[in-house]
Amino acid sequence: MNPSQHFSGFSSLEQAIVGFGQQARELGFNVGVQETIDSLLAATSGITANKDHFRYALKAIYCCAEEDSEAFDALFNAFWNKRRHLIESKVNFKNRSNLQKKGVPSLVMVGQGKQEEGGTDTKNVSGANDMARLRKTDFSRLSEMDSKWMEEIAQKLWEQMSMRLKRKLKATPREGQLDLKRTIRASLSYGGDPIKLQYKNRKPRKPRLITILDVSGSMDKYSFFLLRFLFALRSCFEKLETFIFSTQLMRITEELQAKNLDYTLAMLSSQANHWSGGTRIGECFKTFNDQHAKRILNGDSTVIILSDGLDTGDPEDLARELKKIKLRTRQLVWLNPLKGMQGYEPVQKGMRAALPEVDVFKSAHNLDSILELEKLLMHV
Amino acid sequence: MQFDHGAVSAPDFISDQFDKLGYVVDEELSTILFLMLKLGKPLLLEGPPGVGKTEVATSLAKFLNTELLRLQCYEGLDVHSAVYEWNYQKQLLSIKIQENMHRSESEKEAHIFGEEFLLKRPLLKAITSPQAPVLLIDEIDRADEEFEAFLLELLSAFQISIPEMGTVKALHKPLVILTSNRTRELSDALKRRCLYHWVNYPDMEKEIRIVHKHLPDMQEQLIRELVRVVHTLREQKLDKSPGIAETIDWASALLALGYRELTEESIAKSLGCVLKSTDDINSIKLQGIASLLAATKIN
Repeated sequence: MNPSQHFSGFSSLEQAIVGFGQQARELGFNVGVQETIDSLLAATSGITANKDHFRYALKAIYCCAEEDSEAFDALFNAFWNKRRHLIESKVNFKNRSNLQKKGVPSLVMVGQGKQEEGGTDTKNVSGANDMARLRKTDFSRLSEMDSKWMEEIAQKLWEQMSMRLKRKLKATPREGQLDLKRTIRASLSYGGDPIKLQYKNRKPRKPRLITILDVSGSMDKYSFFLLRFLFALRSCFEKLETFIFSTQLMRITEELQAKNLDYTLAMLSSQANHWSGGTRIGECFKTFNDQHAKRILNGDSTVIILSDGLDTGDPEDLARELKKIKLRTRQLVWLNPLKGMQGYEPVQKGMRAALPEVDVFKSAHNLDSILELEKLLMHV
Repeated sequence: MQFDHGAVSAPDFISDQFDKLGYVVDEELSTILFLMLKLGKPLLLEGPPGVGKTEVATSLAKFLNTELLRLQCYEGLDVHSAVYEWNYQKQLLSIKIQENMHRSESEKEAHIFGEEFLLKRPLLKAITSPQAPVLLIDEIDRADEEFEAFLLELLSAFQISIPEMGTVKALHKPLVILTSNRTRELSDALKRRCLYHWVNYPDMEKEIRIVHKHLPDMQEQLIRELVRVVHTLREQKLDKSPGIAETIDWASALLALGYRELTEESIAKSLGCVLKSTDDINSIKLQGIASLLAATKIN
């Protein structure tokens, strides 16, 4: 078909192109007047003679990501084949790149319509309200469907957070302060003029962050997400050490370095299954102190413990071992998912014994609470 | 002599010319390149590593017979290495030389902030070039967001302001190609300034043509088998999927080793050309090269 021959119900090609732009905008494409102008210019360059060329050109102008491609093709075909009433039902909104950001009302409608048929596509088109709701939902109370969606959102947000942290940590000037002594010495060979400036190079200080995650039965639902969170962190903290424990302590730093998260998680969960039973926090921390602490902690590190503090061991053990850890760190953080519950008081024996040693006591039960940790991590 | 953009009459002309230059370009990309010349907009190419994004820019420069300026982005890229820097050693020497001349302060200052003390980096070079160059901004996703914002300004106004000298306006609008491996999302604003094209791994036939272009001496049958194996490898979950460059490397390696056909032995000996991570090589060897070969022969 030659688009210049019939104009999809418009009186001229120019009008049709403008109409196409409006249609695309309504359907959530992030396009403005500039895109329409560009398409008009493209049309005048003789590209309309071949429909494919015309489509490729408009696609390059309208799309912003690979995921847009499918929706664009559907829209293009529906529009230029003069069947505009079909557009809304034909265009498939799976995998759209910027729909979540925009929240165009008509999209949500499309999404709801789809829900009755399949139901699987809804996660991509639900509005901002759902997102806000999910961010506040306790990890342990997610329905199965939400859980999948949550995983995606969490991954994305944590990666963003990790990216921001990384930037902050690395944003040191390329050159350090001027080293006057060495500059003057170097200037001797130039007759006393400081031709070559000498800099004091700052010794790079790599932040040490140690995370200890409770994977016991009571933490089950949380540890799934928290482990993913730690995985996201590992890219910005080069010296991230990670341990998991329930009745035994296990170092998983190397496992987390692997590229394939799903594989790592599957492997860990298959191993972790053997240990269901009580939680002996004190004993695990003793192992940590005996075997790892000397090597890993250097007085300037931050230790983050993620646990609900439900301990079946002796609370005195816990207090004693925690004190030892505290002595070797700059900051001891305890994240307790239960703290997010209304009316939670740290009354369990274990938690009560631990609190005096802890510098920061926060919750980690939903996405928002974890994202709040950014400030804390920035100063690690 | 620079090529006149107006002489490019249709996308097909571009694909023909690129073909002669040894770059196989499909209809979609040639249309977009055509559009890029007509609209003068930057082109953003996204796609996995090793699919020939950078090659588009080099070929375009050759096609237009113009200079290629390349800016490789990295984390922490700043104005000094991207735009300009003052040659302060030279400035200091010049001050020293001028000490005994009777010039006023302002004259001296004007002198040392003259063009001869300015070190032009790719972006400034692109703008001041006497004929419109092709400016390749490679792996923009690696640069910081601050730099992206700066680039946005440059790409819309095509001017750079240097506090000591004033504003430098582009004599000719450079043809800008940005590439990204999509390690992070670029800002919407930047994307909207550009034409967008997703470059994917080529299909079997296209890749065969590409390898043939690079290695005309190689037997068609061997290329076909080899490309099949590479495609099978790409379907697997590997750390580093082999790109087109790897396919070509591998083909030339086989040619150099004198192998006429793909056998278990020849693959085992040259696997390092196509897989660039020990984990991948081990996992493929564990699966058995025979099974890999069998899977490709059936199709």
